Amino acid sequence: MDAMTGTAPPRTRPKVAGPLSPLWPFLLLLAIGLAMPLTGNAYWGLIATRMAVYWVLVAGLNLIVGYAGQLAIGYVALLTIGAYTTSVLAAGNVFPPLPAFAALGAAGVAGAVAGVVVGLPALRLRTFYFAMTTLGFATIVTQITLAWQDVTGGGIGIAGPEMPEPLDTTWGFLYFCLGFAAVCTWLTANIARSRFGRALVAVRDAEVAAEASGIRKPRLLVLVFILAGALAAMAGGLFATLQTYITPDAFTFDLSLLFFIAILIGGRGSILGPLLGTVILTLLPEIAAPLAAWSTFLYAALLLVIVLAMPGGIAALIDPRSRRKLPENRVITPRTAALDALLGQRKVPEPMRLSGIVLAFGGVRAIDGLDLEVAPGQVHGLIGPNGSGKTTTLNVISGYYRPEAGSMAIGTNPLRAGDPEGRATLRIARTFQTPRLIGEASVLENVMIGGTIDGTAGFAEALFALPRHRRDERELEARARLALEAVGLADLAAARADRLQHSELRFMEIARALMLRPAFLMLDEPAAGLSAEEIRRLGALVRGISRHGTGVLLVEHHADLIFDICDQVTVLNLGKVLAAGTPAEIRVHKEVVSAYLGA
Amino acid sequence: MKITRRSLALGGAGLVAGAPLARPALAQNDPIRIGWLAALTGPSSAPAVGFNRGVLFATEAINAAGGVKGRRIEILTRDTQGDPTKAVNATQEMISQLRVHAIWGPTNSGESLAVTAIMARAKMPNIHPCVVDTLIDERRYPNAFRITPSNTQWDDAVRGYCLNRVNARKVAVIGDTTGYGVSAVNASVAGFQRDGAEVVYKANIDATQPDMTPDMLRARNAGAQAIVIWSVSTGMIARMLNTRATMNWDVPFVGHPALSSGEIGSLVERPANWEKVYAIGYRSCSYDAAGNLPPRTADLVRRLQGKVNLQDTLLWWVASAIDAIDLIAKAVDATGSTSNDAIIGNWNSLRNYPGYFGTYSYSPTQHNGFPVEEVVMSAANSARNGAFTLAPGY
Amino acid sequence: MLASIIASGLAVGAVYALIGITYNTMFATSRVMSFTAGQLGMLGGVFGSMFMLRLGLPVLPALALTLICCALIGVVTEIVAVRPVLKSLEQHLYVLTTLALALLIQHTTAMEWSTEPQPFPRLVNFGSGIWDEKYWLPVVVCIATIIGLEYLYRRTLVGRAFVAIAEDNFAARALGLPERNLRMASYALAGAIGALAGFAGGQLLLAFFANGSLLNFYGFIPVALGGLGNNRGAVIGGFVLGLFQQAANFMVGGIFSSVAVFTLFIIVLLAAPQGMFGAQAARRV
Repeated sequence: MDAMTGTAPPRTRPKVAGPLSPLWPFLLLLAIGLAMPLTGNAYWGLIATRMAVYWVLVAGLNLIVGYAGQLAIGYVALLTIGAYTTSVLAAGNVFPPLPAFAALGAAGVAGAVAGVVVGLPALRLRTFYFAMTTLGFATIVTQITLAWQDVTGGGIGIAGPEMPEPLDTTWGFLYFCLGFAAVCTWLTANIARSRFGRALVAVRDAEVAAEASGIRKPRLLVLVFILAGALAAMAGGLFATLQTYITPDAFTFDLSLLFFIAILIGGRGSILGPLLGTVILTLLPEIAAPLAAWSTFLYAALLLVIVLAMPGGIAALIDPRSRRKLPENRVITPRTAALDALLGQRKVPEPMRLSGIVLAFGGVRAIDGLDLEVAPGQVHGLIGPNGSGKTTTLNVISGYYRPEAGSMAIGTNPLRAGDPEGRATLRIARTFQTPRLIGEASVLENVMIGGTIDGTAGFAEALFALPRHRRDERELEARARLALEAVGLADLAAARADRLQHSELRFMEIARALMLRPAFLMLDEPAAGLSAEEIRRLGALVRGISRHGTGVLLVEHHADLIFDICDQVTVLNLGKVLAAGTPAEIRVHKEVVSAYLGA
Repeated sequence: MKITRRSLALGGAGLVAGAPLARPALAQNDPIRIGWLAALTGPSSAPAVGFNRGVLFATEAINAAGGVKGRRIEILTRDTQGDPTKAVNATQEMISQLRVHAIWGPTNSGESLAVTAIMARAKMPNIHPCVVDTLIDERRYPNAFRITPSNTQWDDAVRGYCLNRVNARKVAVIGDTTGYGVSAVNASVAGFQRDGAEVVYKANIDATQPDMTPDMLRARNAGAQAIVIWSVSTGMIARMLNTRATMNWDVPFVGHPALSSGEIGSLVERPANWEKVYAIGYRSCSYDAAGNLPPRTADLVRRLQGKVNLQDTLLWWVASAIDAIDLIAKAVDATGSTSNDAIIGNWNSLRNYPGYFGTYSYSPTQHNGFPVEEVVMSAANSARNGAFTLAPGY
Repeated sequence: MLASIIASGLAVGAVYALIGITYNTMFATSRVMSFTAGQLGMLGGVFGSMFMLRLGLPVLPALALTLICCALIGVVTEIVAVRPVLKSLEQHLYVLTTLALALLIQHTTAMEWSTEPQPFPRLVNFGSGIWDEKYWLPVVVCIATIIGLEYLYRRTLVGRAFVAIAEDNFAARALGLPERNLRMASYALAGAIGALAGFAGGQLLLAFFANGSLLNFYGFIPVALGGLGNNRGAVIGGFVLGLFQQAANFMVGGIFSSVAVFTLFIIVLLAAPQGMFGAQAARRV
């Protein structure tokens, strides 16, 4: 326990893999692409170019499907829009002809707008519904290209834009597309690695925790739809050049499936996986020529097998984190010293007060006139039998439930009912009865999600990895390591969260909550499933947190823990306060003793 | 054999196998490689299935007779499923990897539009059966030749029949909502209006629409004296024919060859519903009033007997594919070379070349080689051995 | 003309409604929306045509065989595409597994049956014009199905067990209901309903492989309009959609009618994500 004394104990920091590390598979693929001219075989040049073009689209779509988990099946609509915008502008059917690059840029803008339109239903609709609407858009776009003959050439189609020299040859165009694809890989990796990328995954796997961390899903998704739409439309422009001529029947549902399935067999939350998926699916019909007629059948069979037998996709196969052995007999050793660095020097907040809160579910009053005050720097225990309204109270404070009557305030500022995403800015953090985690992400990334709102750099800065974004990331990572240090999980920073034991997950959730440097911290049964020794350490940690000025609201069943560490205790029964006072008072309270403490 | 070639090339050695840049000049016993871009499966695969029988028959016949100057013909088939993307890949593969000497196909307009420029870049001798007008452009695509009529020729034949033999002054023009249906309807309407006829109803109908009554009623109320059809959707055509019968309307249907597709025979409710339907046909593949085919075609049908099934396909598909293979073979035979320039040069010099399907004439400025007067209308329900009886009026 | 639009609108609407009920029946016991719903409808037509025209069976045996085949496919759906992903419902893996299965069914049909529409025989040979069998038969079958289902759910033990599972899966299991068997039974029932839709609409839609994806979409719209799990809502939604679609075909033509239908669908969904008769989703903390 010598480390307890030092402020920053020297220890090796396990490096956490980013989406582009290891880098060599990407470089190898790029090198193979760049070496294609050595074959002198334009056929392989074409296939390689096609892979690069498809990847430009898939790279953006990957953020939507692979990261945010939105099942956009009909993304060929964006490819169509981009292909036609570029071709029409380059041909000069509407305005004077534009150079190919300007047309490609315009397609990017059109795609960004269309990306938002296609994506908007995702903000309101459930998964299957959203999938259906994307299919609907794909149909609408095709029908419009057919009908708008003056501009799009209707069924006869339109010639794709010709690239200027020296990009107008097979190899010139291949190099251009490879370069473009490499840039897209870098851009989407930047997003994936940023707080935006982590927030996307959080929305997908732990939506409630994401809200509690202040992540606003609509804003986030719209930003990603803009990016993915722009990339997909520019891929469409390149596709039109590659095909030399486009007609509506080039934009088949099969193509849409290829994009979608490439991501899923590649694996969610990965960039290398979907890249390999794109390469494989583009190549598959070429090597399996006799099976050409069955290619869709093969895609579908592959999808079924992957989902059922290998839900992690290619990424899980090649991810070293899922194989590396975690040390056995690990011990969680919180280091309160790290709390000083993390929570020190903060303004002490004013107390949080709830008065007269009433909430009923279908006639049953879950909370019935609750008054509660959580003071800064204190641990406030909330106990009571099952169904007495403890977790419901936390959910009211967190904004998940909107009470029918009563008021909430911090000091003199009223606390708005509802608005769960707004709690993080007020420095109200919480953990959950069942830990909400992103299993595929590392422990460090899981914790960093807690600090999402403290990022200062915008989406565009993250996209191009500008200095302010890099500073954000450094600060968030340092803070997350500090938080892990504080809860005693520093050694597991690089491990995949789903490989942790249950007790470790509870501490990880506390670390995530600490990222906010919370004024108020609500813990929902943090001791459930912990060993006696772990409960003791948890108690010390919670005390330590409160001694740094945070007001802690602790919902717990372990009476010992409550009486050990709480400054105030409130006992609930049937949504009403049965008793309130110091642990010493509660311990001798008649009704409480007879009802719960059983002594 | 095709499979091994491909998988070998890919089995890691692919990058090297394709590598030899300077191939030695053609060996005298090197086979003549013909690429065959066929939509053999998927929707609208019926023509390619028919063409394929002709391709196999012609190849077998030539090879059995000792090949061309001792060189065998090798057919390299790629199934495009009518998908432009697959067609582009397959075309580039034929050019760069399989190093074919000429390409026959593709067979659908969408894929054909996508690959024409690619073949032109490689100066690949190409002969195809697609009707879209813009596919033939002697200046931009000096390598591309059409073995069938163009859409304009089809259109002229249909319009001519409506105006001159049916004597309709008011017509309804109807297509489906595919790319081909939309553009063909627009072209057809423009043609009728140019010739002073009145297009009283124009529609693109979703081929899956279950009921055609509203459209047919509108056409009748507008006074249509003929219904012109541009669609390959047999389901839609059959529904329209059934509706016509239900309405007790005897308006003639004139238009696309799909009107005579065998599928329609099984979809109409009564055989009588298929009467007064006239589809585009070809003189070479039509029975005259006495029920006889032209002598050259009759001779071909005798040769095909027992080898090629004509019951579920069209004779002109088989015949034109035989002509296409023959044209390539004859060009090699005449010039003794399989170079691009030799084959294209030979085709450009053809005057009244007697094929089974048509009598072709090509020149450097005319690659629409099918004589327009050989496009006729035939009675759609008169199929026998894949050939049709001429429509009334011829 | 109006009469024929109404007749065909009601007829296709009835088919869409039946596919909507197929969706609902599968959803009720599993909370899963399956992409195979439309394919079952397509197979109803294809199997019917195969048994009656290719194998020459009379109507009733052919109908029975079609129902059995599709019920089997429903059970296969449950075993292959639904059961393995039920434990992680919130990951929506069922969207992928059922999509894959639907594609396998559609592609196999395209390759082994035909890519061209095939004829479907007349069944009772009664009526002509707008009273033709192809118009009234789907409507009659749809109404009969909904009455049958109401009877099943209200009056029979199995039906009540379905309802119990649909309303509260955990409670039903706690009561000792054989949840897995009931789920398989409901998938078989859904298969049969889908088959019925295809069989009754066979004259109208023909036996055509591409009907699968078409019915998938147009059968889903009544569900979205009427509210998930609400069969009566699906029937109303189906008829509304059928009439709207046929009217749009007539008013704006084939190209824009699908645009009109899809646009309307997306707007309605955005305005009322729960559908016209659906309930608000519960909070998930």
